[in-house]
Amino acid sequence: MSDDLFLDPWRRLLDGLGADPWPELAGSGFLDLLRPEAEGGAGLDLAGLFPLAFEAGRRPRAPHVLPTILARLADPQALDCPDAGPVLVAGGSDPAIVRALCAAVDAALMAGAMDALQAMTLDYASTRRQFGREISKFQAIQHQIAVMAEEVMAARMAAETAMTGPPLAVPLQAAAVAKMRCGEAALVCAGVAHAVHGAIGVSAEHDLHHLTGGLHRLRLSHGGEAYWARRLGAWALSRPDDAATLARSL
Amino acid sequence: MLTPLVPAAIGPEDEALRAEVRAFLAERLAGVPGARRARTWMGFDAGFSRDLAARGWVGLTLPVEFGGGGRSPFARFVLIEELLAAGAPVAAHWIAERQSAPLLLRYGTEAQRRDIVPRICRGEAFFCIGMSEPNSGSDLASVRTRAERTANGWRLNGSKIWTTYGHKAHYMVALVRTSGGPDDRQAGLSQLLIDLKTPGVTARPIRDLAGDEHFSEVFFEDVDLPGDALIGQEGQGWSQTNAELAFERSGPERLYSSTVLIDEWMDFVRSRGEPTESEAELAGRMLARLATLRNMSLAVTGQLARGESPVVEASMVKDLGASFEQSIPALVTDHLASLEGPVPAPLLATLDYLAGMSPTFSLRGGTREILRGIIARGLGLR
Repeated sequence: MSDDLFLDPWRRLLDGLGADPWPELAGSGFLDLLRPEAEGGAGLDLAGLFPLAFEAGRRPRAPHVLPTILARLADPQALDCPDAGPVLVAGGSDPAIVRALCAAVDAALMAGAMDALQAMTLDYASTRRQFGREISKFQAIQHQIAVMAEEVMAARMAAETAMTGPPLAVPLQAAAVAKMRCGEAALVCAGVAHAVHGAIGVSAEHDLHHLTGGLHRLRLSHGGEAYWARRLGAWALSRPDDAATLARSL
Repeated sequence: MLTPLVPAAIGPEDEALRAEVRAFLAERLAGVPGARRARTWMGFDAGFSRDLAARGWVGLTLPVEFGGGGRSPFARFVLIEELLAAGAPVAAHWIAERQSAPLLLRYGTEAQRRDIVPRICRGEAFFCIGMSEPNSGSDLASVRTRAERTANGWRLNGSKIWTTYGHKAHYMVALVRTSGGPDDRQAGLSQLLIDLKTPGVTARPIRDLAGDEHFSEVFFEDVDLPGDALIGQEGQGWSQTNAELAFERSGPERLYSSTVLIDEWMDFVRSRGEPTESEAELAGRMLARLATLRNMSLAVTGQLARGESPVVEASMVKDLGASFEQSIPALVTDHLASLEGPVPAPLLATLDYLAGMSPTFSLRGGTREILRGIIARGLGLR
């Protein structure tokens, strides 16, 4: 399935949601993207879902659309589901696979949130003036944002790599890499974004904290960096392969 | 904003090269200690380079008519990933193959292309890059080494320093001033091809903190060079040099400098039985970072294969990769220092070498600060 078919309508849908979004979401058909075509879904795989998850991640105030899309693999009527994990396990799926799937989708959401955070930070740094010039002209600011851009790029690559194949056959080790790497990147990105924004970034009315807060909450869900690093490392150390060979399989 | 990296995969034809390279390296590097292998592209072994060349593995992506392999950038990715991860001593041909041959193919005279490039591919012509000078490091535009026009060509005076294997290479591609003064900055700089056997050239190796002589100081005293020593256009040395640095920054050599240490450490942990949680966590953290960097580097290779010039993206992968490589000695030290039992001496020797030399990883090929400046420009901040 190509991105183009879904991406623009998806953006328009998310941007136009009102106070009671779920009837509209259910009516849009997007919640059934992963469900088989024979059952009225779109039969999308994770590679097809990635750009949609990324776009949802860029919108911190969006409802729990991605967990709901995942939950519908087991419960076709699911709505407003904050966590697909219990629903999928109740539906009979392997808890280890479910956790990895939820982690991979969390990573995709985080990668999107970091992308939006970078855009917001670039925009603010280029507008805000201090000492008679835009703060983006200061090398100290430029280098912080350069580091942020590297982390955003790494996070997206890690998340996109894990989002491949059918949802319930998510590659376990790649999902571990994705959640671990996106968690690491989230700390760097949130730190730089707040540093550049200064006090306005912690005001209630500014959107920044919705993005950074969302990142902190996603770091907590479905296993954080240490959890997935231990899983990945235990797998790596149980094999005889060298680091380059192991990395190649991820 | 930058366009996102597009994930890339190595096709079966290029992937097929891997087994052959692995088998060759397993035989050639058997018994070489980790501390020696950790030198990788700082390790100079002319015989090894010639043996690689005999297999067609020097100049793999260069055109067949100039002695190259005519293969894709992904084939080269496979080859150098294997060479570097194994810790093969590739310094002798490294610069010639990676940047000098492409430079000569683009800007050299027909005679230079016909004569020198095939010798590079045979592992017979080694190059060094003359950039830094005693008072010009990151501020490369301030170079003072100067070439004056003569009736038959150029007369060169000055010196270069920190030149990797300047005392062992056959040729140098040097950035020098051919007109104006230091205040003219980038204007008036040109690239010269210098046969290092020319009278008036002397090179003195400089010993590094590990006891190796991997870099040197090169002096030019009234060195007479032929007219065709000028590479490309006079006054275009700055932009030509930057195009060349893009080659230097885009490869996977920015990920694997510490993998010999990771491998020795993992083998040590495996030898102790069931890994602890903290050992698994450390292995996992290193591996997740390495795998992500590799996928980013592959995506940059994909850009090269499509004929793009991923200057900013390559700088991002290099900066992130160098930070990763530099983090490994400290992480391994933390773990080893938490144990009460003995640690194998070869592992400690590798650790000692990399702990000492890893600061250079964010100096060579452009410092961290220079790279972040390039990235900031790519983001529209300057």
